[in-house]
Amino acid sequence: MLRFLEELWLLTGRSLKVTLREPWAVIPNIGISLFFLFVYDAGLSGIAQLPAFGGVPYLAFILPVALVSGSVGGAGAAGQALIRDLESRYFTKLRLTPVSRTALVMAPMLSGMIQLVAQTVLILLVALALGLKLPGGLLAAVGVVVLAAGWGLGFAGYAVGTALRSRSGRTAQAATFIFFPLLFLSDTFVPLTLIKAGWMRVAAHVNPTTYVFDAMRSLLAHGLVAAPLLRGLAAIVALAVVTLGFAVYTAQRTLRDA
Amino acid sequence: MATRALLHSQDDPEPARQSPEVLDSRLALSAKGLRKRYGDGAEALCGVDFAVRKGEIYGLLGPNGAGKSTAVQILTTLLLPTDGSAQVFGRDIVRDQDAVRRSIGVALQDTGVDPLLTGFEALELQSRLYGATRRAARERAHELSSMLQLENFAHRRIANYSGGMRRRLDLALGLVHRPRLLFLDEPTTGLDPLSRNALWDLVRAVRGESGTTVFLTTQYLEEADTLCDRIAILRAGTVVAEDTPSRLKRRMRRDVIELEPEDPGQVAALLRLVRRIQPAATLEREAVRVHVSHGATIAQELLAAVAGAGIALAGLRVAPPTLDDVFLELTREDGGTDTGEEA
Ligand SMILES: Nc1ncnc2c1ncn2[C@@H]1O[C@H](COP(=O)(O)OP(=O)(O)OP(=O)(O)O)[C@@H](O)[C@H]1O
Ligand SMILES: [Mg+2]
Repeated sequence: MLRFLEELWLLTGRSLKVTLREPWAVIPNIGISLFFLFVYDAGLSGIAQLPAFGGVPYLAFILPVALVSGSVGGAGAAGQALIRDLESRYFTKLRLTPVSRTALVMAPMLSGMIQLVAQTVLILLVALALGLKLPGGLLAAVGVVVLAAGWGLGFAGYAVGTALRSRSGRTAQAATFIFFPLLFLSDTFVPLTLIKAGWMRVAAHVNPTTYVFDAMRSLLAHGLVAAPLLRGLAAIVALAVVTLGFAVYTAQRTLRDA
Repeated sequence: MATRALLHSQDDPEPARQSPEVLDSRLALSAKGLRKRYGDGAEALCGVDFAVRKGEIYGLLGPNGAGKSTAVQILTTLLLPTDGSAQVFGRDIVRDQDAVRRSIGVALQDTGVDPLLTGFEALELQSRLYGATRRAARERAHELSSMLQLENFAHRRIANYSGGMRRRLDLALGLVHRPRLLFLDEPTTGLDPLSRNALWDLVRAVRGESGTTVFLTTQYLEEADTLCDRIAILRAGTVVAEDTPSRLKRRMRRDVIELEPEDPGQVAALLRLVRRIQPAATLEREAVRVHVSHGATIAQELLAAVAGAGIALAGLRVAPPTLDDVFLELTREDGGTDTGEEA
């Protein structure tokens, strides 16, 4: 077990090191998140006057969208890191070592998670600078980071699984487009009660992202409230179980014979 | 396959009657009936056996597409065999992968190293992945970069390395944990003659210093001849001969005569002439080549005929067979080689 953690740490450290050497692979992702924050807050904040928002400032309402899009991007980075190693064939070199196969697959995910947490904290700080109030205090902020990381982990499982399966950067990139319906077929810009199209409401109800948005919003606006938080966590666990299962299954198949 | 029977060691002085356990304890690698069928149905290996003795340099020689890399990938746990089994120091390559991985070092034909790392960092990380402490890893990285003359580049990013430097780094990475068996898949392909000689010296040094067993593949007969203690010739997934280079050559028991006309336009006429005396003569680039049992006698006869026909010769060679001849003979027998698509 100790050996496993050491291997995981060594591989994750190397993954982070090379990410920092090529920062332009991650900077656009942070840029997109901040773009969401600035543009939607600037353009739409007036609608938070509507009673459906229940007095929640639009900044607190839209911030989770920025965070979730950021965490999906961070998770995509995990897949891209793996693709990079598959394409440079360094991954084959690593497979020749007696290192645990689980550590090989988990290291890019963990490094993606670490990037994602750093990015979430950065976006939160920007939001605070823009005037975000946190009635729930530090605990609420930590909660938001945990939710973002959990959602990112769920996505990382998906990204790493498709990376291993396709072994091609382009296919794996294309696969992350699932992010669009997940992000936008939800109560992304306005509360559910304001969504008029029936199909959209159905989609938002089935979309697990909705519950993550709601959990984050509740944390930001009211601090720790059990019900929305638990629903958000449940959505995350459900996604993570499915995608990590997919990643492990794919890894077992492709790492034995590739 | 008469040639095949001829070339397999029948008069091998090795005591073949020893019990399997005794034999096994002297083997670094043994494989029985290895087969590999790829997903698309192509059979890359059709049941090959290897027995590599501890401390020897064993060469797997074959043209493009013969299945060399496939064999190496199976033996190094990267691929699962479709059938057959193999042991590395008695550990099964399928059931005991971790033990196998610990005892082998590998430089594949086309592995890469993360281009964003420096060579030194890659070496350090590699050591640590095999369990070395940070300090030991650093020492080993210094040791190997000086052994492989990488010092000047050790702290540069691998992205900026030349092909030859990458090869050396790859070899260094395969050596970090002092493996008892080293696999080298076409280690000198793409190297200039100087680097090639340097690499040969290095392989010999690795074997000499630590008694490391080496399993290497090559397309170059010269390489197999000068470097290897024993070689196996692989053709289209089948081992067609296995022996020491000198015995392989001796088993041919035939000399080679090559005649090259002054005027390349006369090569066809020359071939017709020679075939009247030696029907098995073949065309080899600009020359006519024939394998015979008594080179000198037949050469006289041929020369007389050629002089009579008034064909001027630019070159004449009467020689014992080179490994090239063995190779050509063996890989030709069923009407040519699979030259493969990739080169
Ligand atoms: N991943 C693969 N999928 C399908 N067929 C493959 C694969 N890898 C190799 N082959 C086929 O298996 C055969 C043996 O290939 P292999 O790479 O082992 O040959 P090789 O002797 O190493 O050739 P070279 O000298 O060109 O490196 C070839 O016909 C090749 O096309
Ligand atoms: Mg090959």
